[in-house]
Amino acid sequence: MRNSKLKTFLIKDLGGIMDHSKNRKLTRRQFIKGAAVVTAAPLVVDALPFYGTLAHASLEADLVIAKTGSPTKLLQAAMAPLGGMGRFVKKGQRVVIKANIAWARTPEQACTNNPELLSALIRMCYEAGAKRVAVWDHTCDNYQFAFARSGLKEAGQKAGADVLSGHGRNVYRQVEIPKAKKLKTAEILRDVLESDVFINFPIPKQHFATELTLGMKNLMGIAWDMEVMHKIDLHQCIADLNTLRKPDLVVVDAIRILTTNGPKGPGKTEDPLEVIASTDIIATDAYSASLFKHPKTGKPFKPEEIKFIKLGYDFGLGEIDLSKVRIKKVSAT
Amino acid sequence: MKKALPYLRRGVQILSFLFLLYLVIRTAFPLEIMIPVDLYLRLDPFIAIISMLTHKGLIERMLPAFGVLLVVIVAGNFFCGWFCPMGAVIDFFDRLLFREKKRTKPIDDQPLKRFRYGVFLFSVIAGLMAFQVMYLLDPISLITRTMVIAFYPPAIYLFNHLIPPVQGLLPKNPFLISSLPLPVFKVNLFIFLFFVAILALGVIRRRFWCRYLCPLGTLFSVFSRLRLFRRDVTEGCTSCQKCVKSCPVGAIPSETPRDYRQQDCIFCFQCLECPPEAVSFQLHRPRWKAVDGVNLSRRYVLGSLAFGGLSALMIKTNPLQSESGLKNNRLVRPPGSLPEKEFVAVCTGCGECLKVCPNNGLQSTFLEAGLAGLYTPRLVSRIGYCEEFCNFCGRVCPTEAIRPLSIEEKRLIQIGVAHIDKTRCIAWDTDKICLVCNEQCSYHAIIGDDKKRPIVKEERCTGCGICENKCPVDGESAIIVYSSGVQKKLKPENLNNNKS
Repeated sequence: MRNSKLKTFLIKDLGGIMDHSKNRKLTRRQFIKGAAVVTAAPLVVDALPFYGTLAHASLEADLVIAKTGSPTKLLQAAMAPLGGMGRFVKKGQRVVIKANIAWARTPEQACTNNPELLSALIRMCYEAGAKRVAVWDHTCDNYQFAFARSGLKEAGQKAGADVLSGHGRNVYRQVEIPKAKKLKTAEILRDVLESDVFINFPIPKQHFATELTLGMKNLMGIAWDMEVMHKIDLHQCIADLNTLRKPDLVVVDAIRILTTNGPKGPGKTEDPLEVIASTDIIATDAYSASLFKHPKTGKPFKPEEIKFIKLGYDFGLGEIDLSKVRIKKVSAT
Repeated sequence: MKKALPYLRRGVQILSFLFLLYLVIRTAFPLEIMIPVDLYLRLDPFIAIISMLTHKGLIERMLPAFGVLLVVIVAGNFFCGWFCPMGAVIDFFDRLLFREKKRTKPIDDQPLKRFRYGVFLFSVIAGLMAFQVMYLLDPISLITRTMVIAFYPPAIYLFNHLIPPVQGLLPKNPFLISSLPLPVFKVNLFIFLFFVAILALGVIRRRFWCRYLCPLGTLFSVFSRLRLFRRDVTEGCTSCQKCVKSCPVGAIPSETPRDYRQQDCIFCFQCLECPPEAVSFQLHRPRWKAVDGVNLSRRYVLGSLAFGGLSALMIKTNPLQSESGLKNNRLVRPPGSLPEKEFVAVCTGCGECLKVCPNNGLQSTFLEAGLAGLYTPRLVSRIGYCEEFCNFCGRVCPTEAIRPLSIEEKRLIQIGVAHIDKTRCIAWDTDKICLVCNEQCSYHAIIGDDKKRPIVKEERCTGCGICENKCPVDGESAIIVYSSGVQKKLKPENLNNNKS
């Protein structure tokens, strides 16, 4: 969207110059402005898919890993090198956060997001000028129990957001997924499709069926029919779903992760105490996969070992090779 | 004051009905209400007596009902006319739909009055043996059941359909409220028609149900003996028959309107509208003997008892109730239920548990549990499963047919065991990765083998049915919960909270 705004701006300004040139009344100021735009345009347009705006061309990193600290500090530390929340959330915009509130588990069991981190995220959005922040999930357990036991509804509402559950079909809209290979159509949360800013807020967990559940798989909770994906082809469907709307921001809640009995748990947990932020969902998933050890080899998971990451990379959703991603590690203390 | 009394009564009736409605609505998550949501049922002495006799033990929750009975014995039957929500509904529809026709001759209702006692004796003896007609006729159980099964789903349906137009009126849809999960009950039409039929009886006479059928009313009639507060008629009575016609329960005989059948009076105070103002209610010394009682012959009593007893024997000798063979192993009872035979005897079918079940998994039976188990709850996992951290059904059951359990106890009760149909299971039948059942199972009772195919560990399965519910196979699930008819307690260490 930002891209198109810039383009219209360019066209308008250039057009203005053309008009003036016809009348031969071109002032010096107009000339300089026009010339600057013309020279800058190719640079900007090239850079757009990656950096958003010219102002962020000098950003330090594409993926930030914040370690050790309180959830709020971790998030602030992770967001700063990306250009702060102001880069993603503009004044008056509507923000949708896809959190993981799927299960009726307590926060300590690490099956759902960290409530403190969620409220920090919401507050940052509001501080950046968001008009409304909505937190959505289509829960697997009963939504009332999942929302209450996870503590996320209370945390989210205290921070001023609407914490909403997709248990009613009326909040979905049937859409076609043009790039999809198998999941051609799906009913997707309307708010996710229509909001200005979409933040994917996953918690990485071990998962018996797909080895791991990460940011890409978190997106299953924006669809009405999750069970049907198992019937078609789970990995491909997850990748297909991710082609629909690329999240503007991915914040991975790796403060505590579930390493066994996933995704519902309860199982063993580990505390990496990390928050990972990026705009590239493949890179974040590739990194968060390395937090887990492969049950057979005992070595950290390689991104290629998780089929849906590989399929997402094939779609061109991001960079799977972490050596090509500018990673910055920061400490929150 | 005299003139205000009928209005006051109507006001109390409306409040009483609205209060019942409020309690029914509050019978839902998170169930944090100070008043017990099954209050009306707990105050019902008919249910209290019968359920304790069939249970052969004390049911603590039902003890307040005896307080009501005591008050009725001493003061008379104020319940039917003032507080009974069923009576309120009947009164309302009688006024709304059925204007009393002008009768030239008062009809002789002696046979019908006797019929009431016949029904009472029949239902009591049948109920004590096996056949639970009395719960179907008990007005409190009946109206709660009707509210939950027949009227609550349409209310939600209408609410859900009102959301889009209302949201359309709001500027730019600031909120997107999810529609509520629509509760569904298979038996709704039967319950609804039964309710309509009761109301329709008003066309014959006002409060027909209360006068001639209601077992709770009969019980109150039998017990309202002392009646310290009684009707008085002075010499001024002109036998104008106004009170005879206006009495909704026919307690005033037309030949001698100065007398009245005190056991039938429900204190509606309609007879105070007396042209010569001859009628008043005053405190009196207790009088034990009934006036102009119903003439129950020995033959009639024995006949009713025999009919009830034999009907119960028909149920008892029905294969669905016998030990052998035809047990319905898809009949999964809610966690904490009494053993099947006792359960059907004590469950009043009030529908509280159906209302409170957060996943709509508890469904009312029709004939699956035999006639004895009509309108009792069963878990239909394909509709909704038993939520792991929920013990609501036991907490709202008035007769403790579903015992109240703590969450920890409830999580160890095995109500059934899941079995996989390998010919239909996606993982077993094809090479696709599914394992929805494994992912959803709260108790780690479904593990995957090395080819990612599910296997059920019976010693951990509680039969909650989440696997059956979420199974993506179309139609009948590929994993089904079967019950053995007996609920077992699992060993705590089998439940995985600390399993590797």
